[in-house]
Amino acid sequence: MESLDPRVSRLNIDENASLSPKAPLDQFGTFEVFVQLKEGKQYKHEGAVHAPNRDMAFIFAKEQFSRRLMCSGLFVVDTRNVFVTEYTEDTVNVYEKVADNADAQGEAQEFEFFHLMKRGKQHEHIGSIEAQSAEQALVMAKSEFINSDKPIYNVWVVKTNDILFSSEEDKVIWNTLPEKKFRDAIAYKAADKVKAFKIRQHK
Amino acid sequence: MYGGGNTFESAKFEGLENEDPQKLAEFEARIERGEKIEPSDWMPKLYRKQLIRMIEQHAHSEIIGALPEGTWITRAPGFKRKLALMAKVQDEVGHAQLLYSAAETLGKPREAMIDDLITGKSKYSNIFNYPAFTWADSCFISWLVDAGAIVNQLANARGSYGPYCRALDRICAEESFHLKYGHHCVIHMATGSEKQREMMQAAINRWWGPMMHFFGPPDKVSVHTEVLMKWKVKMASNDDCRNQFLDMYVPKIWELGLTIPDPNLKKNEDTGRWEYTEPDWEEFKRVINGDGPCNKERLAVRRTAEERGAWVRKALLAPKTEYVAPLA
Repeated sequence: MESLDPRVSRLNIDENASLSPKAPLDQFGTFEVFVQLKEGKQYKHEGAVHAPNRDMAFIFAKEQFSRRLMCSGLFVVDTRNVFVTEYTEDTVNVYEKVADNADAQGEAQEFEFFHLMKRGKQHEHIGSIEAQSAEQALVMAKSEFINSDKPIYNVWVVKTNDILFSSEEDKVIWNTLPEKKFRDAIAYKAADKVKAFKIRQHK
Repeated sequence: MYGGGNTFESAKFEGLENEDPQKLAEFEARIERGEKIEPSDWMPKLYRKQLIRMIEQHAHSEIIGALPEGTWITRAPGFKRKLALMAKVQDEVGHAQLLYSAAETLGKPREAMIDDLITGKSKYSNIFNYPAFTWADSCFISWLVDAGAIVNQLANARGSYGPYCRALDRICAEESFHLKYGHHCVIHMATGSEKQREMMQAAINRWWGPMMHFFGPPDKVSVHTEVLMKWKVKMASNDDCRNQFLDMYVPKIWELGLTIPDPNLKKNEDTGRWEYTEPDWEEFKRVINGDGPCNKERLAVRRTAEERGAWVRKALLAPKTEYVAPLA
């Protein structure tokens, strides 16, 4: 196939190849991505990536969610490992729906908490709690959050061990972000050029 | 940002009478209050179907839109333009990923969407079925096609579906330089040599028709928008978006001493609306249904990428992971 695009011409595409759907093979797993824009700020949910494992998910997430804006930390977790409560609306705090006790057995582990404070916004990291299960962690958090000023509409609970966090050494991957000024609107000032052009036109 | 979320065909409007009236009322009350709908909330089938279609087509547009604009990456004039154009095209492909994720939360797996794109079942923004003959065409796309998409998407970002709004917010934040870059390119051409001016004018003449098509058929023939507006799926009518675009950009084009190939184009100061010659809507239909100058090439390139990248995905495939819909 000859194209205006030399990259496409080089592909040597067979123009008459069939329109058959591709073989079903490559549905990778799903991972949720959380990003910290600046040191000291809360981590926020940014979206999802599909990857064959957690390490690859981290690499994809770095590219997808920390390529453009500021970033000082990032982590990923397999979507299947996120415990999700029901969603509430209007003035209903979701902690009102949490039971007063939960079955628990085994060793206590750390669980990270994420709250949705406004429908349409992202889940934000709140902190962590030691408990024997996600359900028990919710019960323990209930007393603290049930009387919050603003309703909490949804909670995600994730075992800390299931999360892949960026490390101190990883932070060099964001070092070059400030050098890429060509990705800022401010690098494209042209008002002077337009003005000079108009003056030339009027002469 | 390339999508014209409002320019595509609508889902079939049927089955609304089978919805649970109680749930429907709660759903509509939530939207009325200005709250967003989240993936696990109850929603009418039609809402889900229309949103999947719209977000999916938007995602495809980002992928396919990268092709005509990317045509000139290897021959962009100078290092700075190359850097900027590569960064922009990379952003657009990233936007497709965000949008696919948002559509997935409604229950359509990503693979099914890619299948529907490469088999020609699913549409994308029609304007990308036209070729970028010269560098000036690439400048036109970067500035004005992006500008058109921004008009549509700023409207859509106020819609009711949480994951789509969040994706659009992020997209709009990343877009900040695209429009400025595009305008910068066009200014450079328009205020340059005679030859450069000629090239830019020729590009505008070529792209004006498709640009007018971009916002979709006129409101008088666009059906079923009432319920979609009530559900905040569609936030502004096609004609309103087109008018807003003309209002914002025609003066900026004229300012550069360039002309627009429509003798009837003028703003009616009494109504505040722009008057123009209707573009050829028969051509629009023909091209969107496959018979445009580049439809075949666009899909062939996407399909080839899919086929030739299959071995990489196969090598990476890990049995321990499992595809599930994203959470939000």
